[in-house]
Amino acid sequence: MTARKVVVVGAGALGSHLVLLGRNWPVAFSVVDFDRVEAKNLQSQFHTKQSVGRNKAVALQQAMAGLWGLKVEAVPHRLGPDNAAALLAGAALVVDCVDNAPTRRTLAAAAATAGVPCLHGAVAADGGYARVMWAPAFTIDEGGEGAATCEDGRHLAFVVRVAAQLATVAQGFLTTGRQDGWHLSPAGQQRV
Amino acid sequence: MNGRNQNVLLARLNVTWDGQNGDLWEPVPFEATDAEIRAWATEAVRSRAIAGVEPRGEVDLTDFVVDRFPATAELPQPRLFVRPKTPFGAE
Repeated sequence: MTARKVVVVGAGALGSHLVLLGRNWPVAFSVVDFDRVEAKNLQSQFHTKQSVGRNKAVALQQAMAGLWGLKVEAVPHRLGPDNAAALLAGAALVVDCVDNAPTRRTLAAAAATAGVPCLHGAVAADGGYARVMWAPAFTIDEGGEGAATCEDGRHLAFVVRVAAQLATVAQGFLTTGRQDGWHLSPAGQQRV
Repeated sequence: MNGRNQNVLLARLNVTWDGQNGDLWEPVPFEATDAEIRAWATEAVRSRAIAGVEPRGEVDLTDFVVDRFPATAELPQPRLFVRPKTPFGAE
């Protein structure tokens, strides 16, 4: 039996930890990211010193293979209108872990067209709030991309908690089909 | 905001500010404008009307988002969330 395909778009703090936490799922991960690992990313992302300079999707693929023998497909390209449909083809689930509104819009549109359930993870710039929500209830916030991010590691514990909630919701969906949405802050979380 | 009008659909108002989160003790009209809801939330934070949310420093919710969730079978009260923007997937 072929494992169901789960596409993770963005292999930064949320995406890299999501794959880490999903390593024992009976799925085939496909990780999409055009970006490269920088030294500053090591404070908040599941990437190691040895991966600095490598493409993030490839670095995560190598880490999962080396640490757990898990095969992950790495797509070292930017998701855009020209390739989104192909990247989502055959997927049972796509998880949005990107950091900008244009890519979120492209991804959400492609997922809707393809009929692929889309789970979004989104974090506020100050690390004090996050959302884990399904399309189409998820609204894409415009602006704010220029703000400081969590790459200094100050919000690592919260970001990993958001990734864990993403993983919990994704796993619940893959198991039961249920689609829960959550608002999270360091103070707690609420189902929406 | 006082709920006297029986025809007004009332909602629970949840506010996230400066990493803190809580509900306003009194429900607010679900159909109020975003500006009204942000103003109520700002006043509530400033006046310590939301348990668990302390007004540290200047409280400014001008750029915050208002999310509206109608009642569902599982969550029977309409809910309003005032929250910061979430541009990042921490990529």
